[in-house]
Amino acid sequence: MSDHIARGEDFEKKAEKKLSGWGLFGSKYEDAADLFDKAANSFKLAKSWDQAGAVYVKLANCHLKLDSKHEAANAFADAAHCYKKSNIKESISCLEQSVNLFLDIGRLNMSARYYKEIAELYEQEQNLEQAIVYYERAADLFQSEEVTTSANQCKQKVAQFAAQLEQYQKAIEIYEEIARQSLNNNLLKYGVKGHLLNAGICQLCKGDVVAISNALEKYQELDPTFSGTREYKLLRDLAAAVDEEDIAKFTDAVKEFDSMTQLDAWKTTLLLRVKEALKAKELEEDDLT
Amino acid sequence: MSEVFESYERQYCELSANLSKKTSSVSYLDGEQQKQKISEVRGGLDEAEALIRKMDLEARGLQPNIKAVLLAKLREYKSDLNNLKNEVKRIASMNLNQAARDELLEAGMADTLTASANQRDRLLMSTERLNNSGNRISESRKVMLETEELGVSLLQDLHQQRQSLLHANNTLHGVDDNISRSKRVITSISRRMSRNKWIIGAIISVLVLVILLILYFKLAK
Repeated sequence: MSDHIARGEDFEKKAEKKLSGWGLFGSKYEDAADLFDKAANSFKLAKSWDQAGAVYVKLANCHLKLDSKHEAANAFADAAHCYKKSNIKESISCLEQSVNLFLDIGRLNMSARYYKEIAELYEQEQNLEQAIVYYERAADLFQSEEVTTSANQCKQKVAQFAAQLEQYQKAIEIYEEIARQSLNNNLLKYGVKGHLLNAGICQLCKGDVVAISNALEKYQELDPTFSGTREYKLLRDLAAAVDEEDIAKFTDAVKEFDSMTQLDAWKTTLLLRVKEALKAKELEEDDLT
Repeated sequence: MSEVFESYERQYCELSANLSKKTSSVSYLDGEQQKQKISEVRGGLDEAEALIRKMDLEARGLQPNIKAVLLAKLREYKSDLNNLKNEVKRIASMNLNQAARDELLEAGMADTLTASANQRDRLLMSTERLNNSGNRISESRKVMLETEELGVSLLQDLHQQRQSLLHANNTLHGVDDNISRSKRVITSISRRMSRNKWIIGAIISVLVLVILLILYFKLAK
């Protein structure tokens, strides 16, 4: 291990010397870049991520001076990957630089993918607003590259976080849009009911009863098979329970659905919010009466 | 001659129909009756085989064109007979298994058989069995739903992979075009290089000639 660190530092020093000295035929940047690459490799083997990341950043600067933006962007991406293991902020800044370079070159696909990575890092840190911003940018870039599946995935995440942050209208629109697009596709049409269920739950969280029943009818029109599914049954029961402000009925419907398929954390959180709202309304009414 | 063959043929058809009826009925019996029937069927099979051999001998003695037709028919009969033999073997082996299983499980079942003598116990057992089957059905339904979800996510992955494959296909077409363009560029470079070499060679030779001429005239003076 220490052998690799020693070798890495050796390479790094040689590269620095090359940079500061006078090279013949102007090839000093290329040689330095080569040595930096080897140094970073040894640091990676030695698992000292910070040093590896720092060397990758220097490598990227070399490439920038050589005017090869593509190589520089790749080097920034490698740096970000090394930093991911230790220092997330550095990693995010490296990824941003890499994304800007890719955008300059015109490789929207790679930049979209790296935006998605940044968004995932923010998600890990639970910084949901920033995550939403980056997921949206990634989704836009994917859309312009006609890679609709990745775009849909990013948009789904956006909707998920939006709902968690109580931006229900946005989430509803995104889910309905995705459901409409998936209907035409033979491979995706089996996932439509999942999307409609999510949209329905967001509608419930908004708390507008008329809108919920309108939405249910609209979903039935969109997808004729939806009315036969358990998801539709659940939504209908929940809508009825919210209408009658009956908590027991609500809990029963949720329990019945849960017994068949486990509800995931996101749905549980949202349904809990609806239940709390119901309880609050009930308490209010008790206060009044 | 072919009359003998035809009579053999009729006997064989009767026998094979009989045997197939017996084999299908054998699976519904059990125990001793089954063993009896199976030995009967085996005897029938041997008879049928003998008939086929006789038919074969007859057919080979006839004229070539009729021989071809009859031999083809014989091949059919032989394959039918083989099928029947396989069926009988299968049923026989199943029976052996079944008999062994019965013996093994008989010892265990004896107690429960005696216990469910009176009606109430029988009712309790049947309700218990119904509940068990109900539980198992709901569990299997849960598993089915999980599998369905898994299938949906698999389909989404497949869709994504399809898109990336299409994208890669397009990119490769672009790469193809770029490679042919670069090939043209490189050939033009090499042509220019060789042209330059010739020009330089010509200039050098001209210069050398001129130098030699000047030297010659100088020395000649």
